[in-house]
Amino acid sequence: MDELTREFLIESQEGLDRMERCLTDLEQRPQDAGLIGEIFRSVHTIKGTTGFLGFKRLEKLAHAGENLLGLLREGKLTANRPIITGLLQLLDGLRAILKTIEAEEAEGEGDDAVLISCLEELQRPAQVEEKQQVHAIAGADSASAHPAPVARKVKKSAKAAPISTVQASAVTTQTIAQPVESAPSAAPVPKGPEGDVARPLAQGTSAAESTLRVDVSLLNRMMNLVGELVLTRNQVLQATSADPNMTMLSRRLDMVTADLRESVMKARMQPVSNIFSKIPRIVRDLSQSLGRRVRLEVEGQDTELDKSLLEAIKDPLTHAVRNSLDHGIEPPEVRESAGKDPEGTLKLRAAQEGSHVIIEISDDGAGIPVEKVRQKAIERGVITRDRAAHMVERELLQLIFLPGFSTAAAVTNVSGRGVGMDVVRTNVEKIGGKVEIDSRVGKGTTLRLRIPLTLAIIPALIVRSVNQSFALPQGALSELVHVPAEQTAAVIEWIENAPLYRLRGKLLPLVFLDRLLRPGSEHKVAAERDKFIAVLDADGRRFGLVVDGLADPEEIVVKPLSGVLKDIGLFSGATVLGNADLALILDPGAIALKAGVAQREEEPVGAPESESDAAKHIEYLLVEAGGRQAAVPLTDVLRIEQLPLSRIEYIGYRPVLNFEGQLLPVEDSGGVLTAAQDDPKAQGNSEQQIIVVVCREGNRHVGIAVSHVLDVADGGDLFEAGTTQRTDGVTLLKNHVTGVVDLGGVAPLAAEGEVSGEWSQTVETMA
Amino acid sequence: MSTATVGVHRKEKAAAAALVEMCSVRVGQTLFGVPITHILEIVGSPRPQPVPLAPGFVGGLVHYRGDVLTTVSLRQLLGLPPKDGSQDILVLESSGGCFGLLVDSVGEVLTVSSADHEPNPSILDEHRRALFAGAYKLKDSLLVMLDPEQLDPMRLGAELVA
Repeated sequence: MDELTREFLIESQEGLDRMERCLTDLEQRPQDAGLIGEIFRSVHTIKGTTGFLGFKRLEKLAHAGENLLGLLREGKLTANRPIITGLLQLLDGLRAILKTIEAEEAEGEGDDAVLISCLEELQRPAQVEEKQQVHAIAGADSASAHPAPVARKVKKSAKAAPISTVQASAVTTQTIAQPVESAPSAAPVPKGPEGDVARPLAQGTSAAESTLRVDVSLLNRMMNLVGELVLTRNQVLQATSADPNMTMLSRRLDMVTADLRESVMKARMQPVSNIFSKIPRIVRDLSQSLGRRVRLEVEGQDTELDKSLLEAIKDPLTHAVRNSLDHGIEPPEVRESAGKDPEGTLKLRAAQEGSHVIIEISDDGAGIPVEKVRQKAIERGVITRDRAAHMVERELLQLIFLPGFSTAAAVTNVSGRGVGMDVVRTNVEKIGGKVEIDSRVGKGTTLRLRIPLTLAIIPALIVRSVNQSFALPQGALSELVHVPAEQTAAVIEWIENAPLYRLRGKLLPLVFLDRLLRPGSEHKVAAERDKFIAVLDADGRRFGLVVDGLADPEEIVVKPLSGVLKDIGLFSGATVLGNADLALILDPGAIALKAGVAQREEEPVGAPESESDAAKHIEYLLVEAGGRQAAVPLTDVLRIEQLPLSRIEYIGYRPVLNFEGQLLPVEDSGGVLTAAQDDPKAQGNSEQQIIVVVCREGNRHVGIAVSHVLDVADGGDLFEAGTTQRTDGVTLLKNHVTGVVDLGGVAPLAAEGEVSGEWSQTVETMA
Repeated sequence: MSTATVGVHRKEKAAAAALVEMCSVRVGQTLFGVPITHILEIVGSPRPQPVPLAPGFVGGLVHYRGDVLTTVSLRQLLGLPPKDGSQDILVLESSGGCFGLLVDSVGEVLTVSSADHEPNPSILDEHRRALFAGAYKLKDSLLVMLDPEQLDPMRLGAELVA
């Protein structure tokens, strides 16, 4: 394809995107001359350039549209619904032809006669109307005649600089249009387009002068080279560290490189408005075909995201919007009878939060009926009846992300086939993002997509196996377990040939990376070496990946692999590490699949956490001390330390811990320390370990001695029977009433006294 | 880089297509030739990073100008035992993109005449016949011509599946 055609395609597509945006706006403001002008220009530019390039079919179609738009612009017609629908059809027609040109470098054989005649049809009532208007204006020169003020407005503003060019181009159009229509000779055509192409360009001077269109592949190349530069810099820094003269120079090199890298990354960023702009059209079409009334609100359009990520979330976003319209927002009658505004609201919001961009799609529709989800799930055998009874609302909501799950009573042509939500989740997770959902029956649903700012650089943990380094994306990593060499044999348990690990009392399937990578060779259950278990969550599959060693976490630059190596299916790319070594990037999802780790359907992970929920549900660390369970609010937990008992010292009878140079009072109402000290077996054994949960209490830190850390769980509020009074000090954890440790009750060290935090009694309810 | 390639092309055409410049490489006992028009660069590289579970002909990954290149080991492709010590990598350009060709050592650039070219002998096994593109008769030895398109890892991978 020659340069000119390619340029034309890009330009036309941009023009059509602009036109689409304007058309949906036009529906709200049918009198806006600026919008009509913009649409006219888009179609006109296409028509002009096509004539020049010899795409006859495209030209004819654009011409028909232009005639209609001309009438609109002159105010002889008002943009009503059928006209806008017609123009949208024109837009689709033009797009389809452009697509064919892009693929085949020819316009294809399609016939646009129907569409053209439809567009001509739309002009007709205008002519009748036009006469009436003339009469009206002639008869009574008053502003009450509907289209008259528009016409005037156009004329008046024609004096203003930007629109005057439009007027001028209109004149040329008409003169050119006629010869082309009567005799499609090429001769007069080139003169027109050249002038016309120049004009819109001139109009956009301010933007055109300061921006430049750059090929994405060039940016990718720049990104690569910058990565290369970073590595060379690292080597230069190492080589010159001894020479004081060079240090200054290499430090400068260091800074310049960092700046350059940042600039190139920035160049790849694009505002989300690029994909948000498609939504108004979708909302318009769908709300018409579904008989909904929807108002679209968009916020944070200028939030920026890497170009490739924007492409990747286009489909999920469309799916989510379709879902909101079809399942979320109810028909106007239903809304009205429910006492809501008959017009539903769909909100799109984008915002940056740290290293992520949050995209929210929320509606004020019916919400997801949790009971229906529960029933469907049981019906389809996704979860057992027993299990379903125990699931809380939030867990149930996660079920809608399962493949083939739909609560729609009937399958419509829009959605309800149950392919939507799992596609949304898969696509978003593919780029390292997360999907969260929050829904209230009768109030609406909010879907939150959490997208990393850039794909090119991701945080990863470098792990070692088979004497090689591998990069493990941090996104999937939930925790790390160190298994000392002497314990490997004891801690890793087997059911036949399936290795398992007890993670806080639950069996976690294990995958040995070395066995996976070297399937043929013999592997001993290597007792001689330390092992590390990386607990991973990938696509709802939870498993432990056993590796031989851990290195530092690194921000890695992802490089694609060639097709042959992609086919192996375990690696998502490769990267160059800081020490110039290459490392393959492991794909946790693919590993889980290959190792046959099943999706934990009944217990989905990555449970969402929304502000509204957070008020009701607090996450607790569930601990056991002296045979009783107790809960500590997770937000107060700073760290969990496992240390030798000998580290505990006493001031009087109060146990304290010298922790990083600070004195930490240790609470032992569970009697863990006393029990450990009195344990006859432990006497003289300096190796004996105890666990201390370090918590924040106001401005001070306190330690709590526990025998085991069990789990992290959501706690619900409990209400005293017959009242709505919240009970303090207890919470509902996993359907058990559990005492919450009263951190405030831990006496300050200065105050010598009997006051101590109390373990509230654990009352077990009948489950 | 690309201008240089174009330059060579022109020169080649100007010489009435009679003379071809070949980069000679040695693998085991055999002298191979790769048309220099397909060579982007020759890298004396540290050991390539092996890729577990990769097909046998893959020699590993190397870092080349900010990209990660898949290399094809000519030794492994021909079923020769692995070699200790340093190896060289030719960065080749084929229609499927760039890849590295791992060879024992790179020799000089030879100018050969198409008059000295002969097709693959029929006694050569089928696997090799697909990889080699005939041979040039040098004064005291044979230069086996390699076709970079045939060595493309994508093509080799597809062949493996078939």
